[in-house]
Amino acid sequence: MAEQKKVKSSLALRSWKKLVRNKLAMIGVVVAIAMILASIFANIVTPYSPTKIDFANMTKAPSLQHLMGTDKMGRDVLAQVLYGGRVSIYVSVVGAVLGSVVGMILGGLAGWFGGKVDSILVRTSEIFLTFPNMMLVLILVAFVGQGVNNLIFIFFITGWMTPFRMVRNEFLSLREETYVEVCKAFGISDVSIMFRHILPNTISPIVVATTINIANYILQEAGLSFLGLGVPVTIPTWGNIMNAATSIDVIRNYWWLWLFPGLVISVFVLAVNFAGDGLRDVLDPKQ
Amino acid sequence: MLYYFMRKLLAIIPMLLLISVIVFVAIQFSPIDPVNYLASPDMAANSQNLQALRQLLGLNDPIYVRYIRWLGNMLHGNFGYSIVDGSSIAKLIAMKLPATFEISFAALIISTIFGIGIGILSAIKQNTFIDYLGRIIGVVGISIPQFFFGIILIQFFSIKLGWLPVGGRIELGYKTWWDHVPNMILPSLALGISMTAALLRYARNSMLDIMSKDFIKTARSKGIPEWKVYIKHAFRNALGPTLVILAFRLPILIGGSVMIEAVFSWPGIGAIILQGVSSSDYPVIMMTTLMIAAAMLIASFLVDLIMALLDPRIRFER
Amino acid sequence: MRGELNMERGKTILEVRNLKTHFRVGTEDISIVRGVSFSARQGETLAIVGESGCGKSVTVHSVMRLLPKNGRLAGGEALFFDGDTPRELHRLEPFGKEMRAIRGRKIGMIFQDPMASLNPVYRVGDQVAENLLQHFKLTKAEAKEKIIEMFASLGIPDPGRRILDYPHQFSGGMKQRVMIAIAMICNPDLLIADEPTTALDVTIQAQIMELMERLKREQRKAVILITHNMGLVAETADEVAVMYMGRIVERGRVERIFHNPSHPYTKALLRSVPVLGHGRAERLETIRGSTPSPAECVTGCEFANRCDFATTKCKTGTIPAYEVEGGHLARCVLFEGAKELPNE
Repeated sequence: MAEQKKVKSSLALRSWKKLVRNKLAMIGVVVAIAMILASIFANIVTPYSPTKIDFANMTKAPSLQHLMGTDKMGRDVLAQVLYGGRVSIYVSVVGAVLGSVVGMILGGLAGWFGGKVDSILVRTSEIFLTFPNMMLVLILVAFVGQGVNNLIFIFFITGWMTPFRMVRNEFLSLREETYVEVCKAFGISDVSIMFRHILPNTISPIVVATTINIANYILQEAGLSFLGLGVPVTIPTWGNIMNAATSIDVIRNYWWLWLFPGLVISVFVLAVNFAGDGLRDVLDPKQ
Repeated sequence: MLYYFMRKLLAIIPMLLLISVIVFVAIQFSPIDPVNYLASPDMAANSQNLQALRQLLGLNDPIYVRYIRWLGNMLHGNFGYSIVDGSSIAKLIAMKLPATFEISFAALIISTIFGIGIGILSAIKQNTFIDYLGRIIGVVGISIPQFFFGIILIQFFSIKLGWLPVGGRIELGYKTWWDHVPNMILPSLALGISMTAALLRYARNSMLDIMSKDFIKTARSKGIPEWKVYIKHAFRNALGPTLVILAFRLPILIGGSVMIEAVFSWPGIGAIILQGVSSSDYPVIMMTTLMIAAAMLIASFLVDLIMALLDPRIRFER
Repeated sequence: MRGELNMERGKTILEVRNLKTHFRVGTEDISIVRGVSFSARQGETLAIVGESGCGKSVTVHSVMRLLPKNGRLAGGEALFFDGDTPRELHRLEPFGKEMRAIRGRKIGMIFQDPMASLNPVYRVGDQVAENLLQHFKLTKAEAKEKIIEMFASLGIPDPGRRILDYPHQFSGGMKQRVMIAIAMICNPDLLIADEPTTALDVTIQAQIMELMERLKREQRKAVILITHNMGLVAETADEVAVMYMGRIVERGRVERIFHNPSHPYTKALLRSVPVLGHGRAERLETIRGSTPSPAECVTGCEFANRCDFATTKCKTGTIPAYEVEGGHLARCVLFEGAKELPNE
């Protein structure tokens, strides 16, 4: 047992070392964490409030007082970006994690029990996958309405399929392994086998899938809010801020209103993608 | 081989039926009066007795009968009416679908040629300029919000450089189909950016994977020129997995048209859905989605077809 | 007769002198092949034998100029005698016209895993034809005829129909026959077989080896056989080169190697494999210690830390090859005093 523990921790140490050596991944991790912290501590980083209307300072270009300029109502754009990050990141992370949890549970059930349960679940996931994701999301928005929690619900309802498939595959392939039969022969319960033997193998691909989903949800939330269909306009999010840029006038004349939020979104997603790529390299058992 | 295709084709039908049932049920559960949806405003306005109209439309029949009738109507081209402005949904779709199809198809072609092309070159000439360029496009393309990319394109090519029109599909004075091609360029590029990046990454990885396989060494041991090794042997095998990704991401491509059409004021299906969602026009939303789901199933069937042609092992699957 | 010092020994087809190959791993250059010399003659099988990782496969890949991107020829020569013209393989561009004209046409190669060595999306007939049509101007019909003939002579039943099949429709042994067809279709002078039967069943192994033996005898081909299986060596080889850690430690006619193994490694190798006639009480011995990594062996005899006869002289400097008897050499300090062979 002590031997096992030693082997496990040396593998963890090697994986950690490998991750750290991957420069792009580390940059990604550092940048992402920096941006998350900046959003959480937005009130320390900027003195401005994102919602305070100030007609005296409407649509001012970036300057020393307003590093990212102000919008049509005089609100400081940098403040909006920082506070907006809270909502965007919160919605995406929670949505992705919930989606992975739901996907894992369903995938385990499908992979373990097989038969009818499996067929129904697989068929359901296929139907979800046939629709363009954006349209599924839009339909749900139409039926369920806008809002932060609604968005989280919509995200995990439309995002469980990939973790589901991963976990299901893992269960299907491992279920046939001899050591599972051995466990059964020893009288170990199904549930125990599922949780202590098979599930840990699924953790790595799930972590990678969750990271990818976080990146996707940031982009989706941005798109939905940009169209005015995501989080209500009263709460700033990265997409909401860009809502103004649907008019050519804004694109042409007030570049800071769309360039900064757009760059912030792109940089964050890039960082998450680099970190995710690095994680995938480390957790890939094939190496 | 014929067997394989018949099987795949027939498999689509139950899926389509299942989706149609879901769509039908969703409409039933939405808080609208079916009369508004099934009858044109003229009919509703002209009929004296709403009860009689309901009887005529069979709204008092059991649900499965109504489903069959609805299905039958659809197959005859009657998709019902918008509850917002009463226009025929079928007409609406017929008018707007070609526009979306234009930019989607263009986006697909562009992203396939550039994505796969650069991906393969990137794999063959590793660690050269084109490899770095490819890897950058590959990772930026999936990180940048599509609509943001669209806005950047507009700002740069339309506003700053003035080369291409700023938005819209048809302007006064356009006579032939070719006149509006310049309008198609930017939206197609923006629509295709994430597919390009995804295909680039997968083509590159696929090529690298294949190039390390033994049969590449066998090919070289015959003394054939290197370009044959890359194209005939490597690329031919790398194409399959790459096409799988293409098929998988087709729905994502179409989904992007919602945002791109908004940014570029392009009058397509995406715009319709958008309007439908903002005005809670459930019939419009559901019917257009049904159409798109059907299109996706057919498209993925076509990709299955191409893949079987490329890989004989699939054809022989029983 | 096999192995006898026959005045009529076939002419030399390939002569390799002091071949060195390096691999670049990270920032280091690691020496994998450290100065290897041998020759292959018409009508004879030269077996290069050694454990996994000794560099035997890399040696022939170096000769064929089929090294991976991080490998390079670092010294020595490989002379291929095309008719009477010696071709300096080590000087040619690996994928240039000259080398490609030799690969496939004058030197054929078959590899270890027939499952992975054939392209899954093309018919086998086309894959054989590719080699033929690369080097000869023939019509499709002429090529087809030759290929059917080749399949028949290799024992592939119903060849006319089989050339239209895909690799996945063949068994392992049949796939290897297809590989042999690809390698032999241009009637090359030299056939290099890199562990051709390792991935096959024992009975199929025997069939394939017999096939190769027949080709060698009837058509006077030169064959280089890479293997780690001493049994195969005993059955089919005329000349044997034993490799350890990138060097040839012993080389000679097969009977001399088996009856008079001279290098301690060769002796240990022979003691570790089952041989018909072994007494019941005799045990199979393992070689003590484990194979070092190439980066660890910098000076002295590479086998020193596992050798029962090692002395301080073994641990430094380069050990030259000594003549044990006519045509039989061993690279070992035990033979100091015998005639040195500086060019080996």
